[in-house]
Amino acid sequence: MRDHGTLNDLPEAGTTDHLCWVYDDDALFDRAVEAFLSGGLERGERLLCVGERVIESLRASHRLAEEVAALMAAGALQTQTLAQAYEAAGPFLAENQRTYYETATRRALAEGYRGLRVIAEVSVLAADPVTRSELVRWEHVADGLIAQNVGFTAMCAYNGELADEALADIASVHPVVHTPDAVPAFQLFFDDGRIVLAGSVDTFGADRLSRALAASPVGPEGAVLDLGPLEFVDVAGCRAVVLWARGLEARSVPVEIRGASPLFRRMSEILAAGEVAVDDSDEAA
Amino acid sequence: MTILQEHVGFQHEALFYRGDDGFLAGLLPFVRDGLEHDEDVVIAEPRTRLDLLRDALGSDASAVTFFDMAEIGQNPARIIGVWDRVLREHTDAGRTLRGVGEPAFVGRREAELVECRLHELLLNHAFDGGPSWRLLCPYDEEHLPRSATRGALHTHPGAMTADGRRLRGSYAAGAVTDAFATELPRPTDAVLRGIYGSGDIPATRRTVGQYARKLGLPEDKVEILQLAASELATNSVRHGGGTGTVAMWVEPGAAVVEFSDSGRVSDPLTGRLMPPLEQEGGRGVYLVNQLCDLVQLRSSDNGTVVRVLTWL
Repeated sequence: MRDHGTLNDLPEAGTTDHLCWVYDDDALFDRAVEAFLSGGLERGERLLCVGERVIESLRASHRLAEEVAALMAAGALQTQTLAQAYEAAGPFLAENQRTYYETATRRALAEGYRGLRVIAEVSVLAADPVTRSELVRWEHVADGLIAQNVGFTAMCAYNGELADEALADIASVHPVVHTPDAVPAFQLFFDDGRIVLAGSVDTFGADRLSRALAASPVGPEGAVLDLGPLEFVDVAGCRAVVLWARGLEARSVPVEIRGASPLFRRMSEILAAGEVAVDDSDEAA
Repeated sequence: MTILQEHVGFQHEALFYRGDDGFLAGLLPFVRDGLEHDEDVVIAEPRTRLDLLRDALGSDASAVTFFDMAEIGQNPARIIGVWDRVLREHTDAGRTLRGVGEPAFVGRREAELVECRLHELLLNHAFDGGPSWRLLCPYDEEHLPRSATRGALHTHPGAMTADGRRLRGSYAAGAVTDAFATELPRPTDAVLRGIYGSGDIPATRRTVGQYARKLGLPEDKVEILQLAASELATNSVRHGGGTGTVAMWVEPGAAVVEFSDSGRVSDPLTGRLMPPLEQEGGRGVYLVNQLCDLVQLRSSDNGTVVRVLTWL
């Protein structure tokens, strides 16, 4: 299974990285950018830095400073301001983003690179509740793409001053998270064609899980949800999973839930049994 | 021509019997009368009593549905949910239901009998005003403690003996409010206490888990108690004034974990009927009732207490 959980050290470069880096320490963030990009260079990947804050880190890097101009001239390093990024990928929609990055990755491979390594700082999209839900959807869709080992890897940077709710929404759809404060209670990510739920889900996180599951790209062939790494789930979390599965099944999309604990199975049976009890009888008539 | 059936509502009666003969003498006419009137008869009794009845009913037994009361009603707070489901199924099919239920069977622990008494009172609260059906609750007056049999006279609007003699009960419809507000007996042993607030649910869950493991409870019971801790502490945070107290102690034969807060549960049927899947919230206590050995919920103006007992 892909690495998942929290990251306390500087990032290393792997084949299916999708790291959420929440920064409140600028110098540490600069070093993380440097480490992530250097790792990519060693692997022979094309690098893409999106957002003014990342470009700033690039300038601050001692290790990369001398190489930046040459790398950019060679096309091994590209930068985009947020305005340029919007222009390149079109209106901010998960599908547009996916098409853009899929194409960019293919191009990098075609031009002899071993992949496309992206660092993007899009805190502004997370701050706005309207764009945030689409951003969460995109992050989750992106994870699906990254997990397929297509050569696309990413570090998504977010300002630690964002609201806790916003940070939790976003961190929850990354397999690996670096955060100075509270770690996300659960993480939903892709692995080997499955959606994996790790950590713990209680009443306070159940709505977040519902939103993340609803954002999962699921084709007509169906979905597999792996609850193996789940440490704890309460009845609200169980209900979120059951409702999601039921919604897909109602559209004739098969759903398989793997790795469920005996207690989860009992809970879902109890929820289902309760539903049978509450049909539309009108006994007062 | 339309024949209107008289709507008599829910008839909830106690039957006092002695020995197997008395049990059968009281029950068989009730069951056979139901079958003769083309009613659907559902019987919830502990296993040995079920076997006795099944044998005595002979070929009639195939027309009767049997439930093991020790299974469906180990925690008495689960039983109303079962009757509710059964009643809906039969009513929806246009049938009349006749039930037999012995929640307070011999061998029950004292705390279970206390909950059986509340359960009997709540049955009236749950089904009065609904469809017409009869429920007969046998009480073994030979082997049950006197408090249990005498209590049944207070909890059933009707009562009779096995030979059909009617007894004068002392049922009062308002008794359920008092029973639901009654304080539970205080623990006699040393108690571990902790206070939790909104950010402390995972920590509360872990504390309860550690305590349960230390007592040597099997892992599935530990997980259930952790889940109960999460659900009940969440209720305190959401509906019980934002904070609560968890107390843990051991009684002879039981590990006890109790959650209390300053909130008030207005509906004494809380946690006994399952809310529909579409409804958000409201299923924490229901789930705890389904999973835990015994759950005692009491609430009044002084606050709410949910005591969860796990048999050792």
